[in-house]
Amino acid sequence: MWNKLFAWLDERLALNDLYKATLDRPEPKGNWWNTLGSASLFLFLLQGATGIFLSVYYTPSPDHAYDSIQYIMNGVAFGWLIRGIHHWGASVMVMVVFIHMLRVFVTASYKYPRELTWLIGVGLLLCTLGMGFTGYLLPWNQKAYWATTVGTAIAGSVPWIGPFIQKALRGGTDLSALTLSRFFAAHIWMLPAVLAGLIGVHLFLIIKHGESEFPGKDD
Amino acid sequence: MAGSHHISRRDFIKITTAAVGTAIGAAIGLPTIAYLIDPALKAGTTDAWIPLGKLVDFEVGKPTLATFTRSKVNGWEKSVNSYGVFVLRTSDTEALALSNKCTHLGCHVNWDTDKQEYICPCHDAQFGINGDVLGGPPPRPLDRYSGDQVKVEDGTLLIHFLEG
Amino acid sequence: MKAEQKKNVHEKYKIALQKGERFWPDSIFKDLLVSLAIFIVLIMLATFIGIPGEPKADPSDSAYVPKPEWYFLFLFKFLAVYGQIPLLGKIEWIATAVIPGLAILLLFALPLIDSNPYRYYSRRTMALSIMGVFVVSMVVLTTISGVPAVSGDSGMSTMTLLQFLTGLVIPILAYIILVGSSFLAKRSGLFASRLQKWTAIIASGLMVAVAVVVVVMAPPAAAGTEVQLANTLSEQILLGQDLYSINCVECHGPDGEGGEVIGVEGFEGVILTPINTKDIMYTFTDETLANIIAYGQLEKEHAMPPFGRAYGGVLSPSEIDYLVTFLRYTWDDRAEMPAGAVSSIPALNPGEVPSWDVHIQLLVKRYCISCHRAGKQNNNNLMTSYEEMLTSGDDAPLITAGDPESLMLKLINGQEGKDPVTDKVIRQMPPTRLLDPQYVDMLTRWVMAGMPQTAEEAAALFVTATPGSGSSAAPTPTPTP
Repeated sequence: MWNKLFAWLDERLALNDLYKATLDRPEPKGNWWNTLGSASLFLFLLQGATGIFLSVYYTPSPDHAYDSIQYIMNGVAFGWLIRGIHHWGASVMVMVVFIHMLRVFVTASYKYPRELTWLIGVGLLLCTLGMGFTGYLLPWNQKAYWATTVGTAIAGSVPWIGPFIQKALRGGTDLSALTLSRFFAAHIWMLPAVLAGLIGVHLFLIIKHGESEFPGKDD
Repeated sequence: MAGSHHISRRDFIKITTAAVGTAIGAAIGLPTIAYLIDPALKAGTTDAWIPLGKLVDFEVGKPTLATFTRSKVNGWEKSVNSYGVFVLRTSDTEALALSNKCTHLGCHVNWDTDKQEYICPCHDAQFGINGDVLGGPPPRPLDRYSGDQVKVEDGTLLIHFLEG
Repeated sequence: MKAEQKKNVHEKYKIALQKGERFWPDSIFKDLLVSLAIFIVLIMLATFIGIPGEPKADPSDSAYVPKPEWYFLFLFKFLAVYGQIPLLGKIEWIATAVIPGLAILLLFALPLIDSNPYRYYSRRTMALSIMGVFVVSMVVLTTISGVPAVSGDSGMSTMTLLQFLTGLVIPILAYIILVGSSFLAKRSGLFASRLQKWTAIIASGLMVAVAVVVVVMAPPAAAGTEVQLANTLSEQILLGQDLYSINCVECHGPDGEGGEVIGVEGFEGVILTPINTKDIMYTFTDETLANIIAYGQLEKEHAMPPFGRAYGGVLSPSEIDYLVTFLRYTWDDRAEMPAGAVSSIPALNPGEVPSWDVHIQLLVKRYCISCHRAGKQNNNNLMTSYEEMLTSGDDAPLITAGDPESLMLKLINGQEGKDPVTDKVIRQMPPTRLLDPQYVDMLTRWVMAGMPQTAEEAAALFVTATPGSGSSAAPTPTPTP
């Protein structure tokens, strides 16, 4: 019966072709270091999921941000777990992405023909750091408020266009409800969209060129 | 290892992979379901004796609207809700109260002195002086506070208000 | 890259594929196991370490020392160390924009600038050395980020020099040697390679060693002002009650009843209307109450001073929030007090002796310490701890075990006392309104039974009075004035 169902879906979704193209592939002898890339993807999906669930209760306004997070931590079932995973997941993701980059660097996997994969990877690293920076402000507590004040001030130190960038980031001259709103929008829509797009291309390239082999003595 | 067991290494890996995937999914999914439906599961009953005013201020046999407010905490927000009851003093010492919420879909009913009925402006429901349904769509009489849900203390009428 | 080299790469890869494994299920199996491990680690972190509590954002608090997330600390510290360079250090944007910008550019352009055709480690000493020094310097900078670059006003101290060394000098020297050695490689590849490797190793070792010295030499971090945080609603109400006792009781009364203000400098004789009424609780929203507490009401006759830090007071936005929560749940009859929030002073059973820990401390906190704490006009009679209660005061001893004529007992019964030495008149306590009779009885029982501190000590004194037993521990009725 399941076979019939599968056959029906396969005729319409080309499931078998999908399987052959993405999953049924040969790879060079794998090493546990190779798992860091998929670990990054797993963390991105986990952060996305926990982030979506947090947004069910979180309110991105200076009046309510702090209290809504208190409610998530103390009032909602498993709220502390969802937020905890999201909080620690952010740090772990930065670490895993960075170590993944180091691994690729050390095995020189960025060389021909995988240069584009590397370029996109650096973009992914920067987006991840951006997610960390924008997410940090959202609890609107002392740490968040003042760290973002300093962070945006650093951006403002760039000569000539600095003050403009600072005002654009802050939505004005100081941190306000406008800052929180735009950081929230960047954190849940804009950066995730860019991340998802870049991940898509990154994965496409990996499937196309295959995972690189570990360099041997004669490489 | 392959060959000496019933399942091949291939299949072992496939099964383990599926199991691990399911484990991760469940570990995230189950708490999440509780997390998302949490406000629906919360009991949140309020239970308080509400003073409605001096008993002598209510005329015998004449339904009079008494209003009171309760504050409710929803998540992190405190809001104040208003409630109304029609107080019907039945004798010098006794009274009952009827909720002014129509039992059909919740609109507020009004007491019509000429018709001696509660009329609901939304779908023309009609209730008698004791709250019983006289006509229209309501499925049951107006909610009533009587007997041990009503007391008089130092001349003040109180009702036992339960919500949630 | 020449066409032949490219073909080489592809052929090598084909061979590697043949000797390899399948993506599904072999690779995915490994991937999932690692993902599961990371997932479990995250759950453990969320459950057992959790997230440190932080107070609400306080835009008026300019004394707060901000810190970015840990993965930006290296940059943060780099800016601090760079700022120590004379003259050049003043040009901030070199460190905030140029250097990080260059680093990111290098990262992007890596495949283009790396013309080394080899992939094996021993043939890539330059690339690996530069990256190695960079990563070590990132870690070192992160580690010393908590240590201030400048200690006191001594400017270029040893501490500063050391941090300068490990944060800037050693890595920059290493980079210069490494890049310079690439020119040597043309003449002597092996020598260049060895030079690069050892430069990286020595530079890393030196950076780590100096960093260790810096951390060991670091002055202990100044203890930050402890911030009390309340999480659940019950905790907020209790914390709000404490704040109310300390900040508000001396004018507004322990039950919000107001009345004449006595003993508060600058407000003597001011009459306050009660704040526990429907007039206030039904018409003022939480926001209004918070604003009044923060800004005060300087233009009103009673001239309530501002308590918010933004206006010169001592309370943070979080603390004002807790205060308002306490007011709302205590005196607004429409709000249901959550179970467990009422820090009511436990009532005494007949014959029970109260203890400091369980009863008296709460009683005194609520009704006495708005005045009887350090810094207030109280003849040095302090009541914030058990020892202070027993021993402090210009008129000490105020309470003597078993003595119904103890000065404090007389005062709380409404009698005015006289200081035996100075003959100074001491008025009734509390000055505006006497305590509830049950609390007068509670204090009396406590003094008569010998002021037990812990609940165990008090329980041991629980003795049903038998006539003629002569037991001094038996509770005596309130002495008639």
